[in-house]
Amino acid sequence: MPDTNREIQELLADYAQALRDGSIPTFLKSLTRTEGQKMASAPEFWDAAEVVRYLNSAGFADKFATPDVGLFISRVDAKIGSRLKNARGSSRAGRTSPRPITKAQRTEKPI
Amino acid sequence: MDRRLRKALQGLLDPDSERRRRAMEPFVRATFEKFIRYLYRHLGNEVECEDVLEDVYADIWENPERLRNATSERELLKTVYLYYMRKRLREVYRRINRHLYLSQNDLKNLITPELGVLEIMSQSELKDALHGTLARLKARERRAIQLWMDGMSIRAIANDLRTTVGAVKMLKFRTVLKLRKMLRDSCRED
Repeated sequence: MPDTNREIQELLADYAQALRDGSIPTFLKSLTRTEGQKMASAPEFWDAAEVVRYLNSAGFADKFATPDVGLFISRVDAKIGSRLKNARGSSRAGRTSPRPITKAQRTEKPI
Repeated sequence: MDRRLRKALQGLLDPDSERRRRAMEPFVRATFEKFIRYLYRHLGNEVECEDVLEDVYADIWENPERLRNATSERELLKTVYLYYMRKRLREVYRRINRHLYLSQNDLKNLITPELGVLEIMSQSELKDALHGTLARLKARERRAIQLWMDGMSIRAIANDLRTTVGAVKMLKFRTVLKLRKMLRDSCRED
């Protein structure tokens, strides 16, 4: 059964572990109300969390294999393409959509 | 900033969106490695890093004005973090936020903190600074941190140091705080 009343040093160890494993959402979900309050009221936790991020970066960011840049560029290009298409689509829709009937138009001219 | 990156940045600031689109390739090539390693600091997950970065680059293409004043690589990274990455990083966590016992502000501080002196250091600068400060720690403290950085679990570190898991957690917590103070002092001296 998971510990639901962790102390600050335990919370930091779990945060560091989650950061290393890439499972921050799981860590965040595991927090109880009391633990959340403990974290909020402990400035040392935030100071320590800052260093943990540096350690994570220095220790592990070099170890992961960076993905193929060429492939990534094509993903970015596709994303830009879809945003361009959306922008064009919305502007065209704006142009072709029927104009709202104004009050003056709605009233018929007297014969 | 090297010539390649400066040229790519100039292309990005073109008012024509198609030209900007073409300029994205050299820009991504010049910055991808740096940006993804920086994002990894906050996410610790390669797949998420790629997804977030994809949106970050598309946002840059859409609105590159913020990058106009970036004259050095450090400034570029800082601007990209403050105006493009942070927004996307927050979005990653916004969807789970309603189930959390953490206030919106605390979540922001944990996921996308304000920038300190150390935050915008490049990977190599950070490594050098850490290397220097680690050497000044006590042997036991240094060993605990180094084992952690080698990828060992808290239990394995406790076995190595012949102590309990709780003691290692406390040792790590204190050492990390000490390390922060030393890092800040050394940065101030520099």
